[in-house]
Amino acid sequence: MEEAEMDAAWQAAQRRRKLRGWLLPSAGAGALLFLWWAVVAYFHVRPFIAPSPEVVAITLYQKFGMLMDNLAPTAIEAIGGFIIGNLLGIGIATIFVHCRTMEQAFFPVAVFINSIPIVAKAPILVLMLGNGLAPKIAISAVICFFPTLVNMARGLEAVSPQAMELMHVLSGSRWEIFWKLRLPTSLPFLFSALKVATSTAVVGAIVGEWIGSQEGIGALIIQATYNFDSALLYAVVLCGSAFSVAFFMAVRLLERLVIRWEAPGG
Amino acid sequence: MGGDLALDCRDVTVRFMSERRAVTALERVSLALEPGDFVTLLGPSGCGKSTLLRVIADIIAPTTGSVKVFGEAPSGARQRREIGFVFQDASLLPWRNVLDNVRLPLEVGGRRGSVPVSPEALLDMVGLAGWEKSYPHELSGGMRQRVAIARALLGGPRILLMDEPFGALDEITRDRLNEELLRIWRETGTTIVFVTHSIYEAAFLARKVLVLAPRPGRVRELVTVDLPEPRGLAVRETPEFVRLAAHLRRVLEGL
Repeated sequence: MEEAEMDAAWQAAQRRRKLRGWLLPSAGAGALLFLWWAVVAYFHVRPFIAPSPEVVAITLYQKFGMLMDNLAPTAIEAIGGFIIGNLLGIGIATIFVHCRTMEQAFFPVAVFINSIPIVAKAPILVLMLGNGLAPKIAISAVICFFPTLVNMARGLEAVSPQAMELMHVLSGSRWEIFWKLRLPTSLPFLFSALKVATSTAVVGAIVGEWIGSQEGIGALIIQATYNFDSALLYAVVLCGSAFSVAFFMAVRLLERLVIRWEAPGG
Repeated sequence: MGGDLALDCRDVTVRFMSERRAVTALERVSLALEPGDFVTLLGPSGCGKSTLLRVIADIIAPTTGSVKVFGEAPSGARQRREIGFVFQDASLLPWRNVLDNVRLPLEVGGRRGSVPVSPEALLDMVGLAGWEKSYPHELSGGMRQRVAIARALLGGPRILLMDEPFGALDEITRDRLNEELLRIWRETGTTIVFVTHSIYEAAFLARKVLVLAPRPGRVRELVTVDLPEPRGLAVRETPEFVRLAAHLRRVLEGL
């Protein structure tokens, strides 16, 4: 009897906590939206400086087809760059872990290339790869590559010494040590890099489109800015962010499906 | 090779370079064990007991001296899976469930054959029947060590090396696991080399206690344990045990 009561109380507390988890952020966002609307209305902010939220919403609704047509190439570039850049990062990290000479020879080069700002790398890649999707994918890949390389290399090295000794006692080959020990150990490190890479991949694609493109989120941002079409600009930015968030959530979902062994909170 | 010793260490010396000076971890340590023996290596930290265990397991090569495990070099014994090793932390792979952790030795080192005792039967032997599908983070420290013991026993090793396996456990759990280890030892007949810094654990488990001194790690005395077998925890209250523990303490302190 008492136990049932405690159980019910505990479940009610859980429900309240869950509700708060939704309610508070929604209330916060709503309050900021209202503030935005009030400021624009009260100070009579002119539309080309900042649009009011309802104008953005209307633009989003009316131009939804056009926005989606422009989101598609950006999404392809971002996802393509994400896949290529991360695969390269994972592959080269694997080589580095198994061959110190390669690491010592090429890691400083990777650090140097990474230190060039993306807006400076972008024109170089556009010159090399022309004007299609390729340079945008390349820029996106370059921007994803480095954090994944560093994190993956760290993850592959994060094996406990005793686990390595265990593999030695079992006469495990390098290949077996890689597949059975290093790779699974590195996955949490890899996924934290991948989650960061989702948003940087989108940034890369957009920056690539700024340099020279007729379509895509980046091109639309430039267009809307030159035309003082602030409502369209905000709507485009919202679309881009929504895609970034969806991309992030997809990778996080994948992470939860793959890494099931971590203790809650551990 | 029938008359071979299970373990024959002769004048094993291990030196390694650290920072700018050479450290002698072990100096001329000798130890001979008959098959089925149970020896504990007892000493304070820095006495090289873990190093000796790693020399036997072919993880560290001795600087000088020779080691034979059932008449052959440690590397051969390791490759033929005659050595089982239990580490201080259980070293389970967190992404594998209990059964798959025990099965790991079947998947590496080019072993895909049959084993004398199935992983399920070994889990039953260490008292973990029914836990096959659990993951390491769902187990207590003592249960994790039981899994590690089952894993080390897979393939029927002729010598089991244990590096302070119960050192991180609470005393009650440690006592229970000590008793169970003796039962497993009797059931499997394997030779066990067990590292500990607990006098009581060393005396309770072993037929022989090798007492080591630190810096450099060297043998103080090989003490033969004359307690009745099979032993239960109650043996620790007998005058013989108390005398033995007192003797071990004196040897440890070099008196």
